[in-house]
Amino acid sequence: MHAAGFFAEALMLGVSSGPACLASCGPVLVPVLTAERRTARGTGVALAGFLSGRLGGYLLFASIAWFAGHSLEVAPRARGLVFGLAGLAMAVLLAVYARELGRTPEDARCGACRVTRPRSLAGSAPALLGLVSGISLCPPFLAAGVRATQGPGLAAALAFFACFFVGTSVWFLPSLGLGLLRRWAEVAVVARLVLFVLAGYYAYLAFILLGGLLHG
Amino acid sequence: MAEPLSTGRRSFWRSSLLTLPVLLWSMLMFSRALAQPGLAPKLAAFITLAFVVILFHQMMRTAETNRWRRYFFVALGFLFPIGFVWDLIALRGSMSIPVERMISGDTPFCFLAIPMMILPAALTKTVIFPGSILPTASNPHAIAAMVSLWLVATLALGKGWCAYGCFFGGIEEGFASFAKKPRIKRLDPRWRWMPWAVLAAVVLLSAVIVEPVYCSWLCPFKAVTEYPQVRSLETAAQAGIFISLFLGLVIVLPLLTKKRTQCSFLCPFGAFQSIFSKTSAVDVRIDTARCVPCNLCENNCPTLSIDRDAVKAGRPMMSCMRCGACVDICPRDAAVWHIKGTAPGAGGERARLLHLYAAWAFAVMFGGSIIANTLSKLIGLVV
Repeated sequence: MHAAGFFAEALMLGVSSGPACLASCGPVLVPVLTAERRTARGTGVALAGFLSGRLGGYLLFASIAWFAGHSLEVAPRARGLVFGLAGLAMAVLLAVYARELGRTPEDARCGACRVTRPRSLAGSAPALLGLVSGISLCPPFLAAGVRATQGPGLAAALAFFACFFVGTSVWFLPSLGLGLLRRWAEVAVVARLVLFVLAGYYAYLAFILLGGLLHG
Repeated sequence: MAEPLSTGRRSFWRSSLLTLPVLLWSMLMFSRALAQPGLAPKLAAFITLAFVVILFHQMMRTAETNRWRRYFFVALGFLFPIGFVWDLIALRGSMSIPVERMISGDTPFCFLAIPMMILPAALTKTVIFPGSILPTASNPHAIAAMVSLWLVATLALGKGWCAYGCFFGGIEEGFASFAKKPRIKRLDPRWRWMPWAVLAAVVLLSAVIVEPVYCSWLCPFKAVTEYPQVRSLETAAQAGIFISLFLGLVIVLPLLTKKRTQCSFLCPFGAFQSIFSKTSAVDVRIDTARCVPCNLCENNCPTLSIDRDAVKAGRPMMSCMRCGACVDICPRDAAVWHIKGTAPGAGGERARLLHLYAAWAFAVMFGGSIIANTLSKLIGLVV
């Protein structure tokens, strides 16, 4: 009963803080779901990929935090380093993904050998971007993190995070409607440009965080 | 083949009669300044009044819109930063704003922040701009006044705001008009979508970090108005971005392309304003029966709102700001002003008048007062 209450609490925490999580992931999720002109099924797969990646990010961060001493209050320098590197990874991923989306089938061919080079990120981009988005310290995530560390062990903490994740994910379901925008080709062009703009933003964020560390 | 429509020049007296409403409106707008003590405000108000009335008269007399509009708009663009910075220095002794003053709500409000305020206001009932809702002694540029003005102008003019109201657009339009010929003639049309991308990015990011992202990091006009005091690596980077964007998009590229490049390739507010293109009663149409594709309209459109597809479709893209450049340049009168709901080509001059009365009334009220205020300060230096 106690365990059921613990996990129900995680679920409710997720449902109640879902809008904040949606706002936090929205800048990456919205262009990812609209940059390719996908079918409804394709949009669902991309959303599932993004959410799975996000869950992976949550669990990874929760594990690190657990092993780092049952606390998410990481030292400011280490926190700056983690989020600076996460920002850098996000910037690179976004830029590479946006660039790949612009490649025509002709661009993808290797000139002399006529072999089509596969897109290295195409299918996995939503999951990878979800993974990096999951590494964040938004207030609901911190609240869940603090509560999870009060559980009986690492497995319980991870399960707590998984329930929290399910609760937040309910809020992401309406974003499936973004797939309807595929009828306008311009939306995909704009979304691709948004990915570049966001790459610039995350690169800038990484520059500020990592530069701040070097600056002391 | 259809015969070209010719609006032709009007007589002086007929033009004067059409200018009379603008003269009366302008006198009403400047009556307070004309009644102020001292010579400088009176002289400034008189010069501005004469300036706006003569420009409108010339619009009526020559049937050209853009040429005369541009004189007003460029004057507004160049005089606004002077008056604004003057006030800042008088109020706080510097162009830069310290964080403490931002926290206390002393940042003058700018309309560019409006699109970024919508999501946080809707989701959290929070105004994310560090200004004050109502005017205060330390910050007369309040949020409520600017939002109300923008709303009224937008309902009447739609995207026309960018040609008559935006006090930043005049700076790049000025630089664009300095060049005799464009050095760069071909611009990748895909860049036209960039303002929409910037709009989407800044609106989404503003909802996350609960601050107007564009104002904090991307606005080129911070370079000539106010910017956060440089105290850290972050604020130094911000200042670097503001200055680079200003030099690149507001000075260098307009000089090279004769286009409003900041508006065409960056401004999220312009993209946001395009959504309201539908609210204005007047737009521009291209009569495909009259058009011989000479590309003059495409080459002269300052915001890249006309391309071959637009010509085929018979209307510019939604980024058209109703400056009238295409209508003025078209040798066959194929590009015409148009009242929505009427047949294209019918009553073009009536549509132009309808648009111009609304646009000029707003321009005199909003931009005219800015011009008069700055002129008053400059005249005060001499008199």
